[in-house]
Amino acid sequence: MSLKDKYAIVGVGDTKYGKHPGLSHYDLNVIAIKAALEDCGLTNKDVDCLLTKAPVSGFQFGYSSVICELIGIEPVVTGTIDVMGATAGVMVQTAMGMIEAGLCKVAVLTYGDNPVTGVNPYGGVAWEKMWGDPGMFGMYGAPAKYSLFARRHMHEFGTTPRQLGAIKVACCKHALLNPKAQLQKAVTIEEYLNSPIIADPIRTFDSCLVSDGGGAVIVTSAERARSLKKKPVYVMGYGQYARAQQEYSKLNLMDGPARKSGEMAFKMAGVTPKDIDVAQIYDCFTITAMITIEDYGFCKKGEGGSFVEGGRIELGGQLPVNTAGGMLAECGLSGFQGIIEGTRQLRGECGPRQVKDAEIGLVDNEGGTMQTRSTLILRR
Amino acid sequence: MTEYKKVLPTVDDVSKGFWDACKKHQLMLQKCSDCGQLVAYPPMKVCPGCLSTKLGWIKASGKGVIYTYSVIHRTAAPGWKDEVPYLVLIVALDEGPHMYGNTLGVKAEDVACGKKVEVVFDEVTPEISLPKWKLV
Repeated sequence: MSLKDKYAIVGVGDTKYGKHPGLSHYDLNVIAIKAALEDCGLTNKDVDCLLTKAPVSGFQFGYSSVICELIGIEPVVTGTIDVMGATAGVMVQTAMGMIEAGLCKVAVLTYGDNPVTGVNPYGGVAWEKMWGDPGMFGMYGAPAKYSLFARRHMHEFGTTPRQLGAIKVACCKHALLNPKAQLQKAVTIEEYLNSPIIADPIRTFDSCLVSDGGGAVIVTSAERARSLKKKPVYVMGYGQYARAQQEYSKLNLMDGPARKSGEMAFKMAGVTPKDIDVAQIYDCFTITAMITIEDYGFCKKGEGGSFVEGGRIELGGQLPVNTAGGMLAECGLSGFQGIIEGTRQLRGECGPRQVKDAEIGLVDNEGGTMQTRSTLILRR
Repeated sequence: MTEYKKVLPTVDDVSKGFWDACKKHQLMLQKCSDCGQLVAYPPMKVCPGCLSTKLGWIKASGKGVIYTYSVIHRTAAPGWKDEVPYLVLIVALDEGPHMYGNTLGVKAEDVACGKKVEVVFDEVTPEISLPKWKLV
């Protein structure tokens, strides 16, 4: 019972990313949902499923119920899912299953957050303090954790800082073609190498942005999709996987959850990495994207360094990656931006950053420090 | 003794055995008496292998190799600001499991993945001795 091509993303909506001092995370959800509904020509009256990813910048019991009230709906299905940054992709898969099960027909999936201007319950960037006692060792914050992955990658495969920097350079180039991107500045390899080291070998320029913003997507059946405003973007394949253990529990940090999540998605879609025309790869850090590109089989394990060099992942290259700028340059929100850009690319809506004749795309979402994963393979 | 400003470990029913042994300069591992699973720091209440509660303590050799490491230059970890740059290791214990650890008397430039290390104990407060690692 494969759901291949039975469901489509029909509406996408996003805010501009950066600072939204007058807007709450509730507001950011509502703005994104409204934009997604307008994008497909549906109204709130058509929505019978609303799923949310809870914000990091505030805790609200029954978060999705609040959003339902704000957009004036009484859905059959609602709820909040938290697999950290993988949530957006996981929500698409969950919505497909709910619709297939006959529970609902039109699913709105949303995430809005304001870690920059909002009140932060953790007193700093929310994901600095995760679970356990690592603070006891002075291990605090995502850059420090990812430096452990980067160091091991350099040890096992000879990866260089310059190769990590190539990912930042590519994302920044792409962001310049995206008016909504938070960072509108090209970065050279020399500027990357000169950026301050946070936790060796991770530099500030290896790290994603922190952003206020919101994004929403709308999923419905392929049949319904064909009657709506925009060209449907079909879900050909999906996959998930969790290597939920923390860094000190996993014996091999070089094998990320994307390997199994990707296998599942490629098998369902009936395609291989060679068939992917454009990829949105979760880039909370440059090393994350590099390991993940290997995990998906775009190159062999350990060859991620040379794969990302020489413009291969830039527009015009063999595999354009993060064509709107990714988390390194478009926005740091661990939400829908990859799914939204992936959808727009396959609709042919991306203007100067459009990948010519893009037919099949991959969208990757990660949670924690390589702990949860979602893979979507989309087609026009 | 100068005041220890950093976050100290939580000593509770589960971890007491670990920290009591550290005071005696002995590194311990948990071993499940039902399935044999080994658990390095932090100690668990329930065996992650078979969910048994029969996790007992065994002595670790205190030897391992550096699996990976970081040299931290900027930190928000409470009490650690004055220590930068400092090392954090993931040590692959000879027994198999990995654990976090800081170093004692080790220069960042001397560290590399795969180098052998041995545990030493740093008596940071009257109650707590922390396991740290030196190169051998």
